[in-house]
Amino acid sequence: MRKTNNVIKIKDFKVDKGLPFDQEYNFAYLDENTKKMIRRAIIKALCIPGYQVPFASREMPMPYGWGTGGVQVTASCLTKRDTLKIIDQGADDTTNAVSIRNFFKKTSNIKTTEITEKATLIQTRHRIPETPLKKKQIFVYQVPIPEPLAFLEPKVSETIKMHSLSEYGAMHVKLYEDISKNGHIETAYAYPVKTNDRYIMDPSPIPKFDNPKMNNSPAIQLFGAGREQRIYAIPPYTKVKSLDFEDYPFDPFKAEHACDICGSKNTYLDEIIVDDAGNKSFICSDTDFCNKRKNK
Amino acid sequence: MIIPLLKVTNLSKSYDNIVGCKNISMSLYPGEVLGIVGESGSGKTTLINCLSGNLEPDRGKIIFNINNKETDFLNISESEKRKFIRTDLAFVHQNPRDGLRLNVSAGGNIGEKLMSVGYRHYGNIRSLATKWVNKVEIDKSRIDDLPITFSGGMLQRLQIAKNLITSPNVIFMDEPTGGLDVSVQARVLDLIRSLVNELNLTVIIVSHDLAVIRLLADKMIVMKNGTVIESGLSDQVLEDPQQEYTQLLVSSVLQV
Repeated sequence: MRKTNNVIKIKDFKVDKGLPFDQEYNFAYLDENTKKMIRRAIIKALCIPGYQVPFASREMPMPYGWGTGGVQVTASCLTKRDTLKIIDQGADDTTNAVSIRNFFKKTSNIKTTEITEKATLIQTRHRIPETPLKKKQIFVYQVPIPEPLAFLEPKVSETIKMHSLSEYGAMHVKLYEDISKNGHIETAYAYPVKTNDRYIMDPSPIPKFDNPKMNNSPAIQLFGAGREQRIYAIPPYTKVKSLDFEDYPFDPFKAEHACDICGSKNTYLDEIIVDDAGNKSFICSDTDFCNKRKNK
Repeated sequence: MIIPLLKVTNLSKSYDNIVGCKNISMSLYPGEVLGIVGESGSGKTTLINCLSGNLEPDRGKIIFNINNKETDFLNISESEKRKFIRTDLAFVHQNPRDGLRLNVSAGGNIGEKLMSVGYRHYGNIRSLATKWVNKVEIDKSRIDDLPITFSGGMLQRLQIAKNLITSPNVIFMDEPTGGLDVSVQARVLDLIRSLVNELNLTVIIVSHDLAVIRLLADKMIVMKNGTVIESGLSDQVLEDPQQEYTQLLVSSVLQV
């Protein structure tokens, strides 16, 4: 039985305190052998940019679809000196972000932050921060479906073959369908990319507005898919190109508005219905960036 | 001397103890339509699957000679083989649903073949797809419709368009009119015949329907129990069958 009185008081952090540090857990929840296994998968993934490395995903104390893959990657990369930032749709204060941040506070007692520049490790769901990532930062994506070819080819044995032989022609079928139906490429998130001129990769459901940020980024980008048991990665300064047609080039679309809170014109915006009359407001999805700009 | 486009020597394939096809040797010349007939279980489909790369035969040789370049089909790496299948061969399935993506529009289905060989210009893909939809007598207003809204005959014609758009060198057809009613069969056959004449296609067509073979094929082979029992010009074989089994086959066609 777990002792509940053996609790260490932790110092006040800037963000909400969450649960107290629980020493009964191994540092960052996972046991060391599991972390070793995951780190090996990560290193392999970094060596072959965009290639999906299988790994023995563990049961985590949260449901699939809530970031079990990202959490395992984060847990394996975390050291005691790290400062962690967790975002969900760009925000630091939404359910997924708060619960994962509390999880790591409870199990590892590391520092957390909401400020992108101060973080050494950032786990994200569905966004890349507006503040450019920098050297020595690790950026972890939560991935629901890692296989970009899944919608075309349900057989995994076949998609593996397609990847290994670079048979990617059919990948453009989805874009073709978009243009023939809508006159432009409608895919707005999880927009497929080619990594290092070799592997086609699903960038997780980030908006296509964020796709250019992956290209030549100085940070390490890691992708974890818990249910599908795959890890893939983009090492620093790697070419990442969004797929397109010669006559329909890639367009990182965003809403034609400025943020109603901070006034930013070149950030990705959330559209919010503010009353029963259907009036809308557009605000930055990156809460850290928006707050900083507003307070300037 | 004309070099055969496809030369098969002593091809054998068995499934455990059951013989699929045994010691098949044949050649196919450019612009030729070869019919393969035989009853169910005679090895027609096994043979065509071996030749088109869907099945790995146990023994034998398959040599393609395309544009004076010889390809030893059974001794090339998998990536070369898949590339060869993609660019030089085409396969029309009996059931068009096997050869099409039903959740992708007609144009997307035809365009996929182009994109898989490297086309990356939407306008070009679109205009070629439109041209081919027209060619197989599908109204071009249907180009953005899903195949599930098409009739059986239209689906088969769409599948044919998808296969021919990249001008493959050898086209395999497995009972292309199998599941269609008679009037639709006639229309599809008519289309295949006019395309064969117009584009000078090289085709291997499998059928149990002698009428199809008589209409389309220049040469034919008759199979029974996995072996070729008779072969020659189709008119000759159909008018003057030598083997007992072929005679039975020819005489069992209903005369209306």
